[in-house]
Amino acid sequence: MQQKGLDFGGSAEPRPPRRQALTVSELTRRLQGLLETEFADVWVEGEVSNLKRAASGHMYFSLKDAGAQIRAVVWKTDARRLLFKPRDGMQVLARGSLRVYPPHGEYQVSVQVLEPLGKGSLAQAFEELKERLEKEGLFAPGRRRPLPLLPRRIAVVTSPTGAVIRDILRVLHRRHPTLEVLVYPVRVQGEGAAGEIARAISALNHLGGLDVVILARGGGTLEDLWAFNEESVARAIAASRIPTLSAVGHETDVTIADFVADVRAPTPSAAAELVVQPREELQARVNAAGNRLGSALRLRLTRTRARVEAAAAHRVFAAEQGRLHVRAQRVDELVRRGERALVRRLETSRERAGRKRERLEVLRWDRQLAARRERVARRVERLHGLLRGRVDQRRARLAGMAGRLEGLSPLAVLGRGYALVWDEATGVLLRDAGETELGHKLRVRLHKGTVRATVESKERE
Amino acid sequence: MKKTDEPTFEQALEALETLVERLEKGELALEESLKLYEEGIRLSRLCHGKLEEAEGKIEMLLKDARGEPALDPKGNPRTKTLTPPDDHDA
Repeated sequence: MQQKGLDFGGSAEPRPPRRQALTVSELTRRLQGLLETEFADVWVEGEVSNLKRAASGHMYFSLKDAGAQIRAVVWKTDARRLLFKPRDGMQVLARGSLRVYPPHGEYQVSVQVLEPLGKGSLAQAFEELKERLEKEGLFAPGRRRPLPLLPRRIAVVTSPTGAVIRDILRVLHRRHPTLEVLVYPVRVQGEGAAGEIARAISALNHLGGLDVVILARGGGTLEDLWAFNEESVARAIAASRIPTLSAVGHETDVTIADFVADVRAPTPSAAAELVVQPREELQARVNAAGNRLGSALRLRLTRTRARVEAAAAHRVFAAEQGRLHVRAQRVDELVRRGERALVRRLETSRERAGRKRERLEVLRWDRQLAARRERVARRVERLHGLLRGRVDQRRARLAGMAGRLEGLSPLAVLGRGYALVWDEATGVLLRDAGETELGHKLRVRLHKGTVRATVESKERE
Repeated sequence: MKKTDEPTFEQALEALETLVERLEKGELALEESLKLYEEGIRLSRLCHGKLEEAEGKIEMLLKDARGEPALDPKGNPRTKTLTPPDDHDA
């Protein structure tokens, strides 16, 4: 190969004059072309220094090692996606493209992905955020609020499809059939999921009328669960005026959301169990208190009566007899009032039981009718739908419906003197003389009983 | 919708249980005992009422095109009603 330019032996040849000089812009453009093509996708590792976050959201810093440094920028949209907060002195791995900035004659790496070196990026981000929020006091046990014993209306923020929401609704419904549940559908993984979850929490706080918010997601990898490790979600949970319950992943998965929420459930269905005690248990507790109330008063009354009687009988108080009588009478009145109260209570609980029985009977009667005709059955379906409506509306609407049901029942119509006529040969319920033939046997259903007849003549209208 | 000054189920149940304990100690004047008793009955009715008041509606919130909760003209969220899942298809 022929050597070029390193020939020191020969006589010094004068440099040929360069006629065709490039302008600065031209040179820069050519450099730009070379660099931006050659380093369109480059990985570089180094130490972060001189990091600045601009108000615009862009992030500027230098990457350096012992011998050199290079400028780097993370544009706003990419900066938002970073899973950790870079700091000066941190060793990082950056992936991006080299960009030349002609006005300054500078070049920089436009970073799209930035990961801390050393520990896995996500684990580091997790630790970093956890430490920061902990310092702020967001995980303080004193911040945790207890869940209400009997929530009336709760919200579930989760994916509207899949096993998680089904499990939760099933457990809630089984434990407490009168609980109202509002499902707030969100994406629970992938880009934008964290934002949706955070917005859901604050939107629910604006709606009001909710007693608990459950955040739920099934199991998955650290990446899958990542939305629940995002700062925006943690902040939304911390700001929630409604008590929150975090149920993300399996028992072994721990997320930032778990730390901030008022209560952490190991799994979504465990969340449903934590949020409502079985209604029967609560009912038993109220009943027990009610019974103790009754016996305590009964005991109090018996004792008082005994004491008063003993006192009144005592001769020593003969002088005070008059006053004592007045007091005894007053006590008697009170005792009688107490006894009346006890009786009243018995009566009201009996009444309540009676009302329940009545309602059940209405329901059973409807079902009998339903068995007779499909059309009626559909009405009853709607009736059941109505039964799920507000308790206040229940009885009035039920009564109305029952009336209409009766009107629909063929037997009720027969009671007014109409009859149903079938052609025995074809089984057709006759509506038109054309549907039967001379000589055919007919079955006639009256209000009470059935008669058979034969077609002797036909006249069509 | 509901009177806001009404105690929650929890408050009512706790008040009831505290009251029962006081009454059971039997140290109160008769008149006071009766008052407590009547208050206790009121609280236990309230608790029973609260256990039965709601109707177990399950709804799914609907969102508008921007992904925000869709509201009806009154500003309430629009929802669709879901049927409770069958307990036997677990």
